[in-house]
Amino acid sequence: MLKHLFKLIWNKKKENFLLISEILISFMVIFAVFTLLVYNYQNYAVPKGFEEENVWSVDLGELNVSKNKDSVGVLHENLRNVLKNLPEVKAISYASANVPFSNSMFTSGTGYKGIRINVDVNRVEDDYKQVLGLSLLSGRWFSPEDNGLAKSTVILNEEAKERLFGKEDAIGKMISDGSSKVIGVIQNLKDKSDFKAPMPAIYTRIDTGKINQMNQILVRVAPGTTAAFEGKMYKMIASTIKSTNLEIKHLSDMKAEKNKETIIPMIIFFIVTGFLIINVALGIFGVLWYNINKRRAEIGLRRAIGATSSAVSTQLLGEALVIATFSLIIGSFFAVQFPLMKVFDLPTSVYLLAQFFAILFIYLLVVICALYPGKQAAAIYPAVALHEE
Amino acid sequence: MIQLKNIEKVYRTDTVETQALNSISLRVAKGEFLSIMGPSGCGKSTLLNIMGLLDAPSKGDILIDNQQTLSLNDRKLANFRNNKIGFIFQSYHLINDLQVVDNVELPLLYRNSSAKERRELATAALEKVGLSNRIHHFPTQLSGGQKQRVAIARAIVGRPEIILADEPTGNLDSAMGNEIMNILLELNRVDGTTIVMVTHDPNMAQRTHRLLRLFDGSQVQ
Repeated sequence: MLKHLFKLIWNKKKENFLLISEILISFMVIFAVFTLLVYNYQNYAVPKGFEEENVWSVDLGELNVSKNKDSVGVLHENLRNVLKNLPEVKAISYASANVPFSNSMFTSGTGYKGIRINVDVNRVEDDYKQVLGLSLLSGRWFSPEDNGLAKSTVILNEEAKERLFGKEDAIGKMISDGSSKVIGVIQNLKDKSDFKAPMPAIYTRIDTGKINQMNQILVRVAPGTTAAFEGKMYKMIASTIKSTNLEIKHLSDMKAEKNKETIIPMIIFFIVTGFLIINVALGIFGVLWYNINKRRAEIGLRRAIGATSSAVSTQLLGEALVIATFSLIIGSFFAVQFPLMKVFDLPTSVYLLAQFFAILFIYLLVVICALYPGKQAAAIYPAVALHEE
Repeated sequence: MIQLKNIEKVYRTDTVETQALNSISLRVAKGEFLSIMGPSGCGKSTLLNIMGLLDAPSKGDILIDNQQTLSLNDRKLANFRNNKIGFIFQSYHLINDLQVVDNVELPLLYRNSSAKERRELATAALEKVGLSNRIHHFPTQLSGGQKQRVAIARAIVGRPEIILADEPTGNLDSAMGNEIMNILLELNRVDGTTIVMVTHDPNMAQRTHRLLRLFDGSQVQ
């Protein structure tokens, strides 16, 4: 029967050309949607690597003090003491401006044995791990024993470690032309958004020589800390540092903002795709409906020579699926070019999963659209249909 | 072979009730060639459809091979039609998108027969109607007579015991009509196939074993 259906569709290829093209285009759009969905979901499913709840980011803004590093250092220490004395504050750490979910970026190149990669550079303090609840995978975090060493000590995230060292142990190895020693590896931080894949990152201790650039503090507060406390803390910091543009933000709010950058375009894309799918569904439905009316005599004949009513509806469904298969074979040929030619540099698994889901979706759509016309065809009374011709 | 008992057929709409067949009782013996004649609208095709289990009577019984058929469900009816009955129509009802041989194979698609077996039986049926040289043609490439011969091949490919022909020569000139009639007569004579044929042509009807005349849904002879 399948061969019969293929023969029937093939012999009517001119009539089916438009429908095949329509399903092909829909497949490509749905493939793109699923690629986006699978990629974003895979990123979303990756563990965050840190806990942003109850962490506030304090941007100190322009400090109203001398640019003298000692003056800045004194101011920082005063502020640290003020904040640490508050019972609601559990831990604090100064950091470079590129704290999680901020708009700042600080990238640099690093390398090991001829492998060069770009990394996000994060300047942090010893309490940074405690503030964000980081997970150490191997080695250790920064501690006072790193003071005054000839070579600076660095910590890599998992991604940077994989790219530089692969399966090899990274602890104790010198990177960046021997200027930095790796002392630890931490779990990747998904710190750009829930939907962005973690990038290779490197963590260094704040260099006292660049202390005047450190105008960001991450503060972990006790769960349930109120907005009233936030106001009180704001006033205390403002009176201590005399900053003109001090700003306090919650990391969870900053994350929500960053997530919107992915979610909003996706929603717009889904709405457009939704209209396309409705169009395609109506197209398939219309063609099948038209086919039934045009082929009433044929359906009557098939019933007369031994087809049951369910065989007739199954045949129509089968024809629709064969047409879809033609489209999907052509569409799959184009879809596999994406991983082969590394068009968007996404993992192959993303494309393959997206292709699988797109194929499944198209078949499902065709089945849904063919059900009612198939039922109508099954209801055709052979004696009436044969008499009409 | 075929037994109709007090068959009545009434078509009802919201406002009109039309009596298409009125108390028809009939026996068709195995190997008989029966023709049915009557003016247009007298119920010939309705009677043929009822005999072919394509339509259900409003009243009465139909027995084929002594088997009560009115109680059969859709699947059993389809199976019964597929195995026991071959249909020939005035307008051939060939599928233009399929080659001649594929058209002839159609009834076998609804049986558990292999592709090879289907092809052999279809080729044999086409040889029987003298169209073995046209198996890969499409119906649109054939004349009316050839199309009807393809339809006959399709009707006999499953080796049914009964053939129901609804004005098989109605669309053909007399020469072509005679050709088709000769094939039907030979099927009846050589293979013993029971044939019931609706016709308007008295010359064709004369060549059959028995003639049934209908008028306004009733049997007049």
